[in-house]
Amino acid sequence: MTTQTLAEQKLANIIVDALNLEDIKPEDIAPEEQLFGDGLGLDSIDALEIALAISQKYDVQMRAEEENTREAFTSLRNLCEFIKNNE
Amino acid sequence: MSSHDSPLICRAAKDPIAHINTKLAPLGELNGTISAQQFLCHVRQLAKQLPTQHYAINLCDNRYLFMVALCAVIVRQQTNLLAPNAHCATQEKLNQRYKNSYVLHDGGIKTADNIPQFDLSNILLTNHSSDFDIPLVSLDHLAVISFTSGSTGNSKSNHKTWHTLVTSTAINQRYMLPNADQTFYQLATVPGQHMWGLETSVLLALRANVCSSDTRPLYPYDVYQQLAALPSPRMLVSTPVHLRALVDKNTEQSKLDIILCATAPLNQALACDVERLFSTELREIYGCSEIGSMAIKKTAQEENWQRFAGISFKHNEKSLISASAEHITHSVELNDQIELLDQTHFKLTGRSSDTINIAGKRGSLYEINNLLLDFPGLLDGVVFLPPQKQRVPRLAAIVVLNNEASRQQLVNYLRQYLDSAFIPRPLIEVEALPREKNGKLPQSQLLTFFESLRKNPSSLVN
Repeated sequence: MTTQTLAEQKLANIIVDALNLEDIKPEDIAPEEQLFGDGLGLDSIDALEIALAISQKYDVQMRAEEENTREAFTSLRNLCEFIKNNE
Repeated sequence: MSSHDSPLICRAAKDPIAHINTKLAPLGELNGTISAQQFLCHVRQLAKQLPTQHYAINLCDNRYLFMVALCAVIVRQQTNLLAPNAHCATQEKLNQRYKNSYVLHDGGIKTADNIPQFDLSNILLTNHSSDFDIPLVSLDHLAVISFTSGSTGNSKSNHKTWHTLVTSTAINQRYMLPNADQTFYQLATVPGQHMWGLETSVLLALRANVCSSDTRPLYPYDVYQQLAALPSPRMLVSTPVHLRALVDKNTEQSKLDIILCATAPLNQALACDVERLFSTELREIYGCSEIGSMAIKKTAQEENWQRFAGISFKHNEKSLISASAEHITHSVELNDQIELLDQTHFKLTGRSSDTINIAGKRGSLYEINNLLLDFPGLLDGVVFLPPQKQRVPRLAAIVVLNNEASRQQLVNYLRQYLDSAFIPRPLIEVEALPREKNGKLPQSQLLTFFESLRKNPSSLVN
């Protein structure tokens, strides 16, 4: 399993905290694992919670109409990259 | 028109019926406002091309294409099956139950291999014709069968004849829309397939002064963008989950003429915040899938519900309320504890313990537990709703599995059948449940056990 970068660790903590994922440890989220569907199994309610947490912690707005937001939500790594590029 | 028919739409030819803000393959370059005449033209063209099966599992995701598909199915005297989700397992279950069915979709979904399908994204709908003959629909025609949201696939089906839909929409128009002749441009954050979305974003557009946006934004930023793209007067149809997210951003917004909210209880503080943020009036609606919308409350100002004229409430022998209406064949026992105050007003005082509501999706703990118990590798287990502070509560499960089964296999199994909102988390694997000698597992004991597992994270199995 690829290790998380520092930025990914921070984001993983925010996600686990925002979603109250008590049976998942932040360090267990593989950076390239699918967040939704078959991977971590998150859903649209989670997407909304994550979007709110990200807007509060990083001041970055998630916008589904944009192709790169959809891409961002595919994995922890892409989401982290998206925030870096939009901060 | 005989007394046994009613027109498919009650709009004038030039009336705006939909507002397209997405590039849709079947419409080519067409976007912006769609008139009733253009809409009917699309409906007629699609109706001619539909397969001959009797039931259409209508999974169209774009709201406009869903509306066109819904009406084309009705014009062909077929029945729309409105599935609780688009999972392949759901498609297969529906196809087994309704033998003569096909999947009608607009691309981008996985369809079950052995079921005929029709993909709207492969056809082109033009609007060359200028005639405006509104099709008549027999009032007895079974237009829609809807299924309780979050159901496990075997749930009770709700039959909606054209008579039911036409009558309930006339009632809804009276209570949901401001008393004005203007067309209200409506954005909805809910899908057309669910009763709440069907009643508001589809049926009101067909038969009242509403023009429905084809989009279904989720994130606050997108909701604001989509609202800004609509002409005034504007309205928003939403749920407490989406409204909470909008208020969280709390930047000043331009005026909306009305907001409708349903699917789960809305608290008064949030209702007040929403009214302030959009300088608007918020009407909360109470309903159920079997009947549809039944009552209204201006939640920022009122505590009591006003029942719609045309819907009756009666105490039944179990001290629950049965709801009925002239346009619904059977009366329905409501899952909520209701205190009747006078002829039209009532209070909601609680919910029967089996019914859960997660982000507006209603499910039965009994059904979900039965599904869990059907998992081949399960030795013992329980799904329950623990007390929690999260905005959207989630179910939890504690299970005992045999050596051949893994936690991940169980999660995959549940995902096949359940809406994601009902997938338990945490799902904790243990050696044994703290059952009493007689096999009972009292709720208090379960919750104490659950708390002890959470305080000791090393016991959580991943």
